Amino acid sequence: MTEGHELGRLQVNGHAQPEVLDEVHTELEQLWETTSEVSMRDRMRFEMGLMEIVGNVVEHAYRLDQGSAARVLSVSVTVTDTEVRGVLADNGLPVEVDLGDVTLPDPEAESGRGLAMALASLDHLEHARIAGCNRWTLVCERSAP
Amino acid sequence: MMELDVRTDERGIGVVVPRGRLNMVSARSLRDALDTLVNDGTHRIVVDLAETTFMDSSGLGALIAGLKTARQAGGDLRIARPTPAVTTVFELTNLDKVLRPRESAEAAFDD
Repeated sequence: MTEGHELGRLQVNGHAQPEVLDEVHTELEQLWETTSEVSMRDRMRFEMGLMEIVGNVVEHAYRLDQGSAARVLSVSVTVTDTEVRGVLADNGLPVEVDLGDVTLPDPEAESGRGLAMALASLDHLEHARIAGCNRWTLVCERSAP
Repeated sequence: MMELDVRTDERGIGVVVPRGRLNMVSARSLRDALDTLVNDGTHRIVVDLAETTFMDSSGLGALIAGLKTARQAGGDLRIARPTPAVTTVFELTNLDKVLRPRESAEAAFDD
């Protein structure tokens, strides 16, 4: 459940294809304009975590579903006076995620940093399989102004 | 949504300027541009990040790939003027030691 008094929100629904990344990013920038009291540091933290998880969903959609347009993604972000919360749901194949086992790869690795970055930037990150959907919950607790 | 400027300066150093968001979509263009520079004989490259408003793990991966390719060819890849958002990504992943930010594209290869 969202904590605190709601100040703004966004909702994006679309296919889990690379184009959705810019769509979500643009919507998020517009949301920051209407919730200017969120500190720059909190914006950067949430933005990094959200875009890594959206990227992760899109990447898995391509790898597991062969780029099928059937995988549909919904992204909602809510800003309150105490937190910024994102919920992502997609109808793709179940993803096995063990967030307790995520570490940064070797410095020379060209991939595999996304989840570690999301975990480091957010205060709370959770993945669950609910009613046939992969569901991610992301929370950034807002720092004092 | 990213624009990519690529040029080679009078010293033969490749200067790459990504403008906008460096994400999963645009990282591919950056990776290709860095590959092309090295294959065409430009082995010293500086990526000027002053106008890169956002970078995700894919963008980071493209820089690491470019660094490895340049070094294998006997050169190097350096970064200059990262924005605060991009600096945070380097620090969070401990890659600020591998890709130490330089104060300007012009001076990136002075040492």
